[in-house]
Amino acid sequence: MRRSRIPFYLLVGMLVFLYLPLIIVIVNSFNMSRYGGQWGGFTLKWYSRLFSDRTIWYALGNSLLIALTSTVTSMVLGTTAAIALYRFKTRLQSAHRLFIHLPLVMPDILVGISLLLFFVALKVRLGLFTIYLAHVTFCISYVAMVVLGRLQDFNYAVIEAAMDLGASWPAAIRKVMIPMITPGIMAGGLLAFTLSIDDFVITFFVSGPGSATLPLYIYSMIRHGSPMVINALTGIFIVFTFTVVTISKKLLEEK
Amino acid sequence: MKRPNSKIPELALSLPTMGWLVVLFIIPTIVILLIAFRTGDPYGGIGDQWTVENFSELANPVYRGIMVRTVVLSVLTTAICLVLGVPAGYCLARAEKKKRDFLLLLIIVPFWINFLIRIFAWKVVLHPEGIVKNFLLLIGIVNDQTLLLYRPGTVLLVMVYSYIPFAVLPIYAAAEKFDFSLLDAAHDLGANWYRAFYRVFLPGIRQGILTAILVVFIPALGSYVIPDIVGGPGGEMIGNKIAQKTFIDRHLPHASVLSSLLVLAVMIPMTASLFMKRRKTVGRGIIPG
Amino acid sequence: MGDFLVFEGISKSFGELKVLDNVSLSIEKGTIFSILGPSGCGKTTLLRICAGFEYPDRGRVILDGKDITSDRPNRRRVNTVFQNYSLFPHMTVRENISFGLQMAGFDRSRISGEVDRYLELIQMSDQADKKATKLSGGQMQRVAIARALINKPQVLLLDEPLAALDLKLRQRMLVELDWIHDEVGITFLYVTHDQGEAMSISDHIAVMNKGRIEQQGTPVQVYEAPTNSFVAAFIGDTNFFETEITSIEDSYCRMNIKDFADGVIVYNDKNFPQGSRVYLSIRPEKFVISHAEPESHRKRNMVRGVVEEIIYMGTHTVFWVRVGDYRIQVRQSHDRFLLDEKIIEHGNTVCISWHADNCYILDRYDERDESLLTLPDDDVTVAPENIISAGK
Repeated sequence: MRRSRIPFYLLVGMLVFLYLPLIIVIVNSFNMSRYGGQWGGFTLKWYSRLFSDRTIWYALGNSLLIALTSTVTSMVLGTTAAIALYRFKTRLQSAHRLFIHLPLVMPDILVGISLLLFFVALKVRLGLFTIYLAHVTFCISYVAMVVLGRLQDFNYAVIEAAMDLGASWPAAIRKVMIPMITPGIMAGGLLAFTLSIDDFVITFFVSGPGSATLPLYIYSMIRHGSPMVINALTGIFIVFTFTVVTISKKLLEEK
Repeated sequence: MKRPNSKIPELALSLPTMGWLVVLFIIPTIVILLIAFRTGDPYGGIGDQWTVENFSELANPVYRGIMVRTVVLSVLTTAICLVLGVPAGYCLARAEKKKRDFLLLLIIVPFWINFLIRIFAWKVVLHPEGIVKNFLLLIGIVNDQTLLLYRPGTVLLVMVYSYIPFAVLPIYAAAEKFDFSLLDAAHDLGANWYRAFYRVFLPGIRQGILTAILVVFIPALGSYVIPDIVGGPGGEMIGNKIAQKTFIDRHLPHASVLSSLLVLAVMIPMTASLFMKRRKTVGRGIIPG
Repeated sequence: MGDFLVFEGISKSFGELKVLDNVSLSIEKGTIFSILGPSGCGKTTLLRICAGFEYPDRGRVILDGKDITSDRPNRRRVNTVFQNYSLFPHMTVRENISFGLQMAGFDRSRISGEVDRYLELIQMSDQADKKATKLSGGQMQRVAIARALINKPQVLLLDEPLAALDLKLRQRMLVELDWIHDEVGITFLYVTHDQGEAMSISDHIAVMNKGRIEQQGTPVQVYEAPTNSFVAAFIGDTNFFETEITSIEDSYCRMNIKDFADGVIVYNDKNFPQGSRVYLSIRPEKFVISHAEPESHRKRNMVRGVVEEIIYMGTHTVFWVRVGDYRIQVRQSHDRFLLDEKIIEHGNTVCISWHADNCYILDRYDERDESLLTLPDDDVTVAPENIISAGK
């Protein structure tokens, strides 16, 4: 059958659409003139200005701290949840599954405002700790989903084999299941980390004074700061992302 | 004869997450609905009296326009994402493995770049002194006064840009499981490519399309950052109003009223999808796959 | 001595579905005992109850005089070889085999020595540090066996251990299993749907269907003297005849089969009285087929029929012979190929005869069991090795 080429052209068009703005911004980050309507000559001054900004490093520190702690917490909680969902088919698990699914479809702004109202109602002081709680809340679901996906092709007979050979149930889970699903747990953790470090909306609602994370700082720069410095930041982000992706892809291929 | 203590492992594995999510997700969501009935206090906190007054806020004619815009923009975003996502998912599923992995990576990588930065890139691109404007001026499509930014159309463009991978990925996942020899069979039975695509492929990836609709439409309804950065006053959506009530007017009960409205709006597609899933389970005996 | 492992009135349901219905078995120490039955007959559930993965609704499991019904799997001296081996994929062969001893808390040097011995037993000493996922099917099987045996279980449970292997390997592993059994002398409880496997390896077979034991006995007993239509049809192939006993002659009885001209004489081991309506099972290889009428004998039955189908199988030939409403399956080996005797051809009228001791009156008959039999126009191309299992 003669296949239509249209889908392929649409795909290529979509990729151009995805990348064009990013490329323009990178090019612009070396441009002397603001907004890049014209080429005003090559410069690195936006980058040097970016690196001399102390607040950005402070915000990055906050982001990393929250991302690391909430990743570890949500890896533990998400994995236990996934194991429970995988293993037990009770009414309790139907509720559990619903609880895990809901945060995935809830718009960020609702998660943010609900937590803000909750914290305000309980008179909890907003700050890094409330951000941490919020991040774990939405990361749990993602980790659980990724680990559960990995567990789909896990054959429970292996656990029975371990018990048959004298391991108690917790020991069988620890010594056999966990090592086997470690790649899934790591993938879930990686996803949680990127979601946490990337999150703006929820963080925006539950942050307090002095707890600016990198996205919050970027937002204030977009609103009030020099766009050229953000161009430079974009350049760094993109290069960093591509490097990480390439390295991790290489590592995965070697395995 | 029952195994002794058989409930303990299940509870040990379920209660931590369930507890966490009940306290920090379920209860806060209910709190939104409760605070909508509370009075505000002059310091931006929550008063201690119950009232229904907050809901009169909705009578404000400004809101009707914003609600209509929110729904229209979300529907359009979802539609465009599907129109682009279905062919993309089809191509990806049909491509050979190496090419497919590479294309998938290309689609995913931009979304590892900070969300705000991606939106900001559009602000740069569409800026009155930016490259697109200059280019369009050059070929004479627009004049000096035309604004590319701060219009509902701009919000739509950036929303499509931001949500399209969420549409492509579930569609691709469904298309990958699709048996493409069915298209040959349809062709053999006299369908041309377009009819085979429409009558055989689309029904075959129905579940993926439904997921795509859900994961694009619901977040789109709750969009806040995109209209905030590229929308301007003419592109505001309900999310902006919630943020405005929270941070600028500092009236949390009013923010709650709007949020409750959004919760209800989100419930509609969610319940619909649950209903469709159930119907699918019932029909599973007859419909293969 | 005969009661090493005992199942006592085991019943088990999953929801509405009754999987085991009052099953009782008693297994002798040191033997290979097979539970044979079609998929879904409850044999695997029985094995899982023995291993401790399921708990029966009613009944007890007694091992060496001790009630182990509600013991957890890790507390039983019973080990399992799983259907798909269930090796731990993230561990090497050595780590897999030593897992049980580690759980039991033995010290390192002791474990290492034991593992070496068992690696030798399964002839895999040179593969000890390979990842379990890198092994071939037969090797995985051997590791699974060693991993279970090293714990010196009182009973080794084998759940369709050869199902995932191809035919040649299956036959080789069967011999190897038998050899390992002789070597370690542990009681084997072997679950399979393959009658060929069960027949060749077991000391004792229990045939199961729909959650009940249909018959148990030695392989010869079960094959030669099936007590009901299920066992007769599930193991090997057979012909069923509906008859009525007309007279009793000592331990024999005479009966009429519709369309058979003369009465038929049959050994009446179950002492059915005159006038009973019964069903008869005659295995296809028990017939002799010939052009000429055989010498008549007091205990030989003979009937004439027309050959409708001839299927040459290499080791033997299958004839389908029409006698009235019956199509009778006859198997004949052809050791007389080189003689000048006239070959039986399609459409010939032939005599088929059989001895009165070579057919069995069934206790119970169910028409549905006929679906287990080979039909005349079924796969003509079955490979000779499959013939023994063609009945299932």
